[in-house]
Amino acid sequence: MPHELDDLPQRLSGIMGGEQVREGTAASGFSVDGAEPSLVVHPGSQEEVEAAVVACGKAGAVVVPWGGGTAIGLGNPPSRLDVVVCLDRLARIVEFDEANLNVSAEAGVRLADLQAVLAGKHEFLPLDPPQADRVTVGGLVATNSSGPSRLHYGTARDWVLGLRVVLPYGERIRCGGKVVKNVSGYDMNKLFIGSLGTLGIVTEATFKLLPVPAMRVTIVGLFRELAQAAAVVACTLESQLLPEALEALDSQALGAVASAIGLTDPSGYGLAIAVAGSRETVERQVRDFTRLLAESQATATTTLGGAQGAAAWQAIGDVQARMGVTSEERVVVKIAVPIGKTLELLSSAERLARHNGWRGAVTAHAGSGIVRAGYLVGGATLESLRDGLRALRGQAESAEGSLVVETAPAALKCSLDAWGKPPEAAEVMRRLKVEFDPRGLVSPGRFLAGI
Amino acid sequence: MASSKLAEDLRGIVGKANVLDAGVGLHLYGYDAYLEERRPDAVVFVHSTDEVAGVVRACHERGVPFVARGGGTNLSGGTIPVKGGVVIETIRMNKILEIDRANLRARVQPGMFNLEFGNALAPLGYQYLPDPASQKAATLGGNVGENSGGPHCLKYGVTTNHVFGLTVVLPDGEVAHLGGKAPDAPGYDLTGTFVGGEGTLGICTEIVARIVRLPEGVKTLLAIYDRIEDGGETVSAIVAAGMVPATLEMMDQLVIQAVEQSMKCGLPLDCATVLIIEVDGLADDLEQQAQTIADLCRKHGAREVRVAENDAERAALWAGRRGAFGAVARITPSYLVCDGTVPRTALPTVLRKVAEVSRKYDLMIPNVFHAGDGNLHPLILFDWRNAEQKVRVMKAGMEILELCVQMGGTISGEHGVGIEKMDAMRLVFSEADIRAQLKVKRAFDRRDLSNPGKMFPAPREATDAA
Repeated sequence: MPHELDDLPQRLSGIMGGEQVREGTAASGFSVDGAEPSLVVHPGSQEEVEAAVVACGKAGAVVVPWGGGTAIGLGNPPSRLDVVVCLDRLARIVEFDEANLNVSAEAGVRLADLQAVLAGKHEFLPLDPPQADRVTVGGLVATNSSGPSRLHYGTARDWVLGLRVVLPYGERIRCGGKVVKNVSGYDMNKLFIGSLGTLGIVTEATFKLLPVPAMRVTIVGLFRELAQAAAVVACTLESQLLPEALEALDSQALGAVASAIGLTDPSGYGLAIAVAGSRETVERQVRDFTRLLAESQATATTTLGGAQGAAAWQAIGDVQARMGVTSEERVVVKIAVPIGKTLELLSSAERLARHNGWRGAVTAHAGSGIVRAGYLVGGATLESLRDGLRALRGQAESAEGSLVVETAPAALKCSLDAWGKPPEAAEVMRRLKVEFDPRGLVSPGRFLAGI
Repeated sequence: MASSKLAEDLRGIVGKANVLDAGVGLHLYGYDAYLEERRPDAVVFVHSTDEVAGVVRACHERGVPFVARGGGTNLSGGTIPVKGGVVIETIRMNKILEIDRANLRARVQPGMFNLEFGNALAPLGYQYLPDPASQKAATLGGNVGENSGGPHCLKYGVTTNHVFGLTVVLPDGEVAHLGGKAPDAPGYDLTGTFVGGEGTLGICTEIVARIVRLPEGVKTLLAIYDRIEDGGETVSAIVAAGMVPATLEMMDQLVIQAVEQSMKCGLPLDCATVLIIEVDGLADDLEQQAQTIADLCRKHGAREVRVAENDAERAALWAGRRGAFGAVARITPSYLVCDGTVPRTALPTVLRKVAEVSRKYDLMIPNVFHAGDGNLHPLILFDWRNAEQKVRVMKAGMEILELCVQMGGTISGEHGVGIEKMDAMRLVFSEADIRAQLKVKRAFDRRDLSNPGKMFPAPREATDAA
């Protein structure tokens, strides 16, 4: 910690109480890509976050926000880190306006806890990121995390109505509001969603909600060839059917979730389809999909309802996260390409593992253009991973897409930028960063193009 | 004009025939559907991204303001060149560049009319969901600038939910591709930031829009009420029953009477309100959904519920709503459209209060609204030749916006801030909130040349004198 930060612990203790400020070894467990913070603070309110950011700013201390820690591996290593602002005590559901289908929750509220409260009134927030049991509201917004059901519902940008943010220079602002249609001023929510804490710290979010569908059923089909699964996907996207999710799994991912989906010793490729809605529409879609799977030479199909279906989707969503405990043990990347290229990229990501004999798991939101690939470090060397991922990134980028490193050992991140080629408007992004954080005190270096 | 040299340069970029810098024609590009006007110094008709970039670069070099314009349907003065300068008319950039069914995307130019795009997609079995009421004359570029809504946004969201990429000319003339056919482009979501920027962040010259299959079935109902509160309560009851209709639209008695005079839709002149409800999706449960909704309407006091049995009947139920703004123009020469939004359960209360405003200022205020999303459009009627009346209109409009904010709502649901609601921004935002938005403006447009004089209230004077 720089010398001028000497009295920062006292100042922060004055704001939130000494027991909420941890130093030295007590601050361990909050390292960001190998960078250890000098201090970890746990503010108890949005006002305390503001005061803490002001105090850190005065001391010139660099701050990184921390929610559930599930996505802390996303981004490049911070160029400097002094204070981790942990938002775990901002755990209040501020307002649940069930009649108007919206909820406001503080950043530290865990998504699973929020969903449990909403479910009490038969409503839900249709976002299903990986590790949904641990991810927090703030983390979800900051990382723009999403899951299989984005096919039907979209992503955080479609459900965030409003945000409260503490800016790097300590001002608290409000973006958006509570109403579903709002064009009063710029759509500032969009700027902060997915900005990884580089423009400020999100302290509260207001979401639009939906009524819980009357029924939800999952259909899983297995295929010898990926092309057969791809035919089902193409056919579905051309149809008027409205599945909630359409998830493809390679053989290793399939093996990892076998017990959760109730198939013993599955082989080949899997396609999991979720349908939700009224009994009439669900039964009809189950019928149509079952027929479609059979016509497409599925070797086995199974239908899961209720809790069994929910468990299957959790296993599928978490398959890469469960491959290891720490970021030193695994690499997880997210590939985004135009929808029609999704399974081509899944195939390449799978081939990379097979060709090198790596253990891993590849899944894809087959109707949304997203592939997630996880590889275990150990069998694979960092050099081979780096070269393999560069090739994969090249393929994604030549399809107008991207490959983002979500988790990787710090050593690998030194040789593989987390975000890839800077976008065309990188200069505007840099100017935004300078406007909001001229001194580079919030999450510096973690974003792309040096931001 | 700042210099005739600029006009010369503009002719060099777009050709002599595509620059207008003298004559009465200039007046035609100085107003829109709001109530002010300001003649531009020049109008250029652009045909390509390169031309737009060239024009913007020329303006930037000389510090001349510019404003992009599409169909000129904006209701908040968004296209009025309040600081003079150049109007960049994009209406001739009106082509569909690609319909990419495999990727469920289309690339379109900004000058295409929203309805024209829909008409091109429909025969292929596809649709673009945002459907502002002005869709016949509103362009997709304008929709992007204003983040337009429309009746269908209750279920399907607004423009920003359907735009995945943009080609933009930044205010210094640089061209950038934001987002694209692939989702989740790394970096800040500049596409999402640009949509709804009201032309103050640059000019969009190409749009990557999401297209989706037309629904398998649609069911449209019209419920007729003797009390407007009953209509409002039905809306809440439908949502509370766990249904999300594609649309939930309301019109009050004054609008119904104007609509009937103008196009004879068969609506009863003595009713207080009608509710137009549409459900769509898989055909299997639409009959039942319609039945449930009809029951809820009757339970909440509807005196009659009509269900469209075919496309022609459906079109008839919609005709009145689509033509409402036009029909109201029969009553007085001018009207101010308010665009407040409230949480939908607050609708009955806010309607009562709007009626009080109408009495207080002695102004007729018919109401059309997107009831499902709490977006109301009180139309304050007046005669523009009556200056005293216009003052009352502006006061009444501001009071209605204040009411919406007090009820937990906001000052604009879909028409934008423009010049109309610059001062009302302070009703919803703190000085810090506004400062943060200005940072975005500066990051895109350091010299304040792209549609200047819009959206932001004048800075507060330092109030040191106690």
